[in-house]
Amino acid sequence: MASRAEPMTRRRPSAVSSWMDRHVRWLLVTPAALMVVALTIFPLCFAVWVAFVQYDFSLGDEHPWVGLDNFVENWKDPVWRASLWRTAWFSVTMVAIELGLGLLLALAMLRPFRGRRVLMTFFVVPLFISPVVVGGFFDLFVRRPYGVANQLASWVWPGDVTIDFSQDSPWVYIVLIMADVWQWTPFMFVILLAGLAAIPDTLYEAADLDGAKPRQAFSFVTLPLLMPIILIAVTFRLIDAAKLFDIIFSLTRGGPGTDTYTTSYYLYQQGFEFFHLGQGTAGAWMFLIMLTFISFWLVRRLLKPVEEA
Amino acid sequence: MTDITAERPRAEQRGKSAAVRGGRFRVGGLLRFVFIAIYTAFLLLPLYWMAVTSIKSQEDQLSDPPVWFPGDPTSINYAEALNRYNGWKGLENSLVVAFVTTILAVAFGTAAAYSMARFRTGGKHLAFWFLSQRMMPPIAIIIPVFLLYSRYSEEWFGFGLIDTRIGLILLYTVFALPFTVWMMYAYFRQMPPELEEAALVDGCSRVQALRKVAWPLAAPGIISAAAFAFILSWTEFLFAQVLARNEAVTAPVALAGMITFFQGNLYGQASALTMVTLIPAVILGALFQRHLVRGLTLGAVQG
Repeated sequence: MASRAEPMTRRRPSAVSSWMDRHVRWLLVTPAALMVVALTIFPLCFAVWVAFVQYDFSLGDEHPWVGLDNFVENWKDPVWRASLWRTAWFSVTMVAIELGLGLLLALAMLRPFRGRRVLMTFFVVPLFISPVVVGGFFDLFVRRPYGVANQLASWVWPGDVTIDFSQDSPWVYIVLIMADVWQWTPFMFVILLAGLAAIPDTLYEAADLDGAKPRQAFSFVTLPLLMPIILIAVTFRLIDAAKLFDIIFSLTRGGPGTDTYTTSYYLYQQGFEFFHLGQGTAGAWMFLIMLTFISFWLVRRLLKPVEEA
Repeated sequence: MTDITAERPRAEQRGKSAAVRGGRFRVGGLLRFVFIAIYTAFLLLPLYWMAVTSIKSQEDQLSDPPVWFPGDPTSINYAEALNRYNGWKGLENSLVVAFVTTILAVAFGTAAAYSMARFRTGGKHLAFWFLSQRMMPPIAIIIPVFLLYSRYSEEWFGFGLIDTRIGLILLYTVFALPFTVWMMYAYFRQMPPELEEAALVDGCSRVQALRKVAWPLAAPGIISAAAFAFILSWTEFLFAQVLARNEAVTAPVALAGMITFFQGNLYGQASALTMVTLIPAVILGALFQRHLVRGLTLGAVQG
């Protein structure tokens, strides 16, 4: 590696540049590392203090120590507990649907056909749109009476459909999930398509010679070879889905009532609607710890077969 | 490696094994295109609805049953969104913030990635530490950052960071860093070190070898990392919503304001502004499609 070049004698123009040369590896890492420390590690440490005091703007510079009260208050709130479960089942449902659709789409788009390139460009567009905007579209799409969702539904369903998609119980969840699926199916699709394209044709020829049926070729050639990539995609998507906030903000604002509060939305409300800064920070810390455990578990568990391969 | 758009070099190969491939999807022949058509409809419907709403007059927007093809298209929504409802301000702020963020994140990220890939600086731990930033939920630091920006930055540094572009740029850079670091880390590890070593033998200093050999060679990787950093800050909402209330509002914040605070009144304007914000997104999407996979998986899958 690079150290092989070290013993070479070479002319050094000045003391500064030779110092830079000797320490270049640390100089290069420093700006990035410093920024992360300053803007995530430091705020997190600061947050520990905020979580243990009563941080109230009306108290001015006084921040009375309250110990674990903020954490206890948070756990007493049934909305908080419900939001955790909701975040979990939202994430799993959304990612499962996205994986299914993405895989089907990748299989369908694998072989070239006319217009494939144009379609590809359309398919990736959702990835470049702000999620808050996606939530806004779907709101526009389903809002009564101006939205078209009811009209579309009455075409396929007998009778005049008048569902309030932003209030009626199962529908509001379905719309939220559809919005997320709309935006993130391309994520799965793009990654899985790359995975599928990487499987050499010779393997299918061999399977064919051995008399494998298409279904068998899929389950004994495609799936095992695609599995590491599926796992990577699922891991990344799950970690992101757990942070769900933007589409809640623009589509339902947590409503009806608190029925669509995710953990991120709940904490946002605590912090910036009610200004319960101490409680919000305590909750954020607990959420961070839970997510860290889950993320590490996912990365270890799901990516293990990838690293071994 | 696995280039999703590299159909042309593969075409002949595909042709040869057409029977095999064909056999694989025999059941799916027609079904395949039906599925693509349904998915395309699902994808385009909301987009179409928004495009149409952006050119509808007020009556058409509120009409029941909804109007699919407006008879009298108007550009008033665009004019109002841009001039009356923070549209230009949001776009300008978004552009400046995304641009500077991109430069910083790419410069710092590439430097760190180079050091980690070539000198094994910090070993696996440092690389994994950067990756772990990708996992962190933004909500976890939003309250402390809000407090630091609004109450303490003035006290400690002499300037407030709340509602400023700089404040947003600093945060977005940190959020883009895991992407740029990991994308470039994967890129540099693929790049043979021999070229830089040759430059060293020829009398270049380390810094010169980096500037004259390594960076130009890494240009394709750098460009796709830059596209990612740009999109990340172009679409970010939560931090901008909390930290940029007035002076530094970005386009997503301006949009959210129209959609959520005036329930149902400003949809035309919001759609118009959305159409405008889609422009860079679609251009970048079309240009960087082939690098997308690498970015989405932080270099874990090569696209």
